[in-house]
Amino acid sequence: MMELLVTVFSATFFVTVIRASTPLLFATMGGLVSDLGGALNVALEGMMLIAALTAVVVSVYAPWYVAVLAAIASGALLGAMMGFFHLRLRADVILVGFAVNILAAGGTVFLLSLATGGDKGTSINLVSKAVPAAHLDFLAAIPVIGPTMHSVLSGHSVLTWAAFLSVFAIWYFLYRTPWGLWLRGVGEYPAAPAAAGIPVDRVRLWSLIVSGALAGAGGAQLAMFNYIGFTRDMTAGRGFIALGAVLLGARHPVGGMLAALLFGVFEALSIVMPGLFSWIPGEMIQIIPFVVTVLALILFSYRAQRARMMKVPVRE
Amino acid sequence: MIAAPNRWAEARQEAGRAIAALLVALIVAFVIVLSTSSEPAEAFRTLLTAPMSSNRTRGYWIDDVAKLTLTGLAFSLVFQARQFALGVQGQAYVGGLAAALVALSPVGLTPLAIPVGMLAAMLAGAAYGFLPGYAKARFGASEIVSSLMLNYIAIRMVNYAIRTQLAPPGTGQLTSPEFPPQAVFPAIVPGTRFDLGIVIALVAVGVVWFLLYRTAWGLKLRLVGHNAQFAEYAGIRANAIMVSAMTVSGAIGGLLGSVFVQGKAFGRIAIDFDGNLAFEGILIAIVARSKPLAVPFVALAYGYLRQGAQLMGMRSDVPMEMIAVVQALVILLVASQFTLPGRKALARLFGRKETAT
Repeated sequence: MMELLVTVFSATFFVTVIRASTPLLFATMGGLVSDLGGALNVALEGMMLIAALTAVVVSVYAPWYVAVLAAIASGALLGAMMGFFHLRLRADVILVGFAVNILAAGGTVFLLSLATGGDKGTSINLVSKAVPAAHLDFLAAIPVIGPTMHSVLSGHSVLTWAAFLSVFAIWYFLYRTPWGLWLRGVGEYPAAPAAAGIPVDRVRLWSLIVSGALAGAGGAQLAMFNYIGFTRDMTAGRGFIALGAVLLGARHPVGGMLAALLFGVFEALSIVMPGLFSWIPGEMIQIIPFVVTVLALILFSYRAQRARMMKVPVRE
Repeated sequence: MIAAPNRWAEARQEAGRAIAALLVALIVAFVIVLSTSSEPAEAFRTLLTAPMSSNRTRGYWIDDVAKLTLTGLAFSLVFQARQFALGVQGQAYVGGLAAALVALSPVGLTPLAIPVGMLAAMLAGAAYGFLPGYAKARFGASEIVSSLMLNYIAIRMVNYAIRTQLAPPGTGQLTSPEFPPQAVFPAIVPGTRFDLGIVIALVAVGVVWFLLYRTAWGLKLRLVGHNAQFAEYAGIRANAIMVSAMTVSGAIGGLLGSVFVQGKAFGRIAIDFDGNLAFEGILIAIVARSKPLAVPFVALAYGYLRQGAQLMGMRSDVPMEMIAVVQALVILLVASQFTLPGRKALARLFGRKETAT
């Protein structure tokens, strides 16, 4: 037990938490944008998976930032495709989302075997690149708190900073710009913005595209920082956990960020625990994030339900 | 304009759409095979004909059809109540584990092994299906997220139980010992996987159809699925119906687990035994429009394609995962209001009256 506490309160554990949270954070923000626009994006999982493969394959031939951009673009493209089928052809968005997930689960293995000439399952024979870490060495020069700040803040992926920046950007967009108001209106009660002349379908389409782009960034972080390379089903349910995080975060960017960090803590625990407690079976440690998600979801839904019942005006 | 829509005409139209979607998807698949394979004709021929090539492969096919029918039914039932509960995979795992425990217990040596195993599996699956239903009815927790999380949990827990408790100790095996012969479904065609499973699946089709269309519960369920608020106004307790729909669907999911482990294909329980088949019921249910009577036909066609893809993956240079493209396209096309170019000509070809969409 002591070892666990020592580990949990160390700076390295904090860095692990941030690293584990980053893909989740991107996906949560993606889920939030489309959810607020009224289209539940169950395809986050598949989008991340396809983006992860895209990032790995592109990074073999191009610099890391091109690979990241390609991953983001692939997510956005999938979002646009979902929008086309959902908005133009009027298919149920959840069914379209699962079509994307199925395409991703099999399609990535197929494409990987094409890209590697027969390998199914891992990209071990591809020399893929990593997203660089941001080393903030100047922090160490600050007296007293400098070394601590350096060990906590330095060494994170560039994308991690982008993820936290995206939380602020989305908050600003949603609550400080007219388009954010449009988006929330479209999700809340589409007839009203439609009557006000707001192009409802176009707003939804963009929400899906942005949602895909964010999930794509999460996939890039996963395959170019958390792990270097692609393995089949490497997202391992993160897209669905992110959906839970959106709900747990009360559909607010800051809440979603906290929820993603919470799930990140448990994922980090499941990373460090096998080293500390070899007697706990691996399966039990692997289910921690899923169990926490279910419990958190139930707890939050229960609280939200009671809040609704008591008719407490919820601050928007 | 048709005054009273004829049920057969509607069914024909739906079937036509599904077949058209499948054809489009197959054409796309052909183009992909053509551009990636060194022997495209051979690969595509395997995909389309290999499942019929021998008794053994036909047995594989029918075995898959039985399982796909069951998972398709489980998904259809919750979809009809308009619940996106996706927990069939988890239910199959806990059901499979329950059936395996029965088969490996002293009961497994008696003639009761098969019925008791199936019953245990259905109870376990029903309990596992009840959980997300209750969480939604009582706490308003999204059934999509909770049922998916429960899938991940069930798979890992059951794998753990198999690895540490059921596998013979010290061997490093990832399967249980074989069940006693009394606990394994008898084969209908000896020497193949053509076993009791398909009979169970067809009976389940009849039962689900009866429940949905010939009982008050089924009517309420469909009303809730159509418009939950209206159903509430009509005095139907929508939440209770919803939970019961998920529970019954869970029982079917559990039954699927029993068919898996007690079927000729396994006759024991192994880790990751479903090979993701349980989840593919979502495709069956979508294409069948959640109609139980359509499920076995869709399963027949899809199971053929699935088997063909597996054989193609083994015998040619095209990996079986290529079939994901077909799966995704079929879902997209069936779920959306697509119209084929040249639809009129097609309609004339099939000799059906053209109807406005």
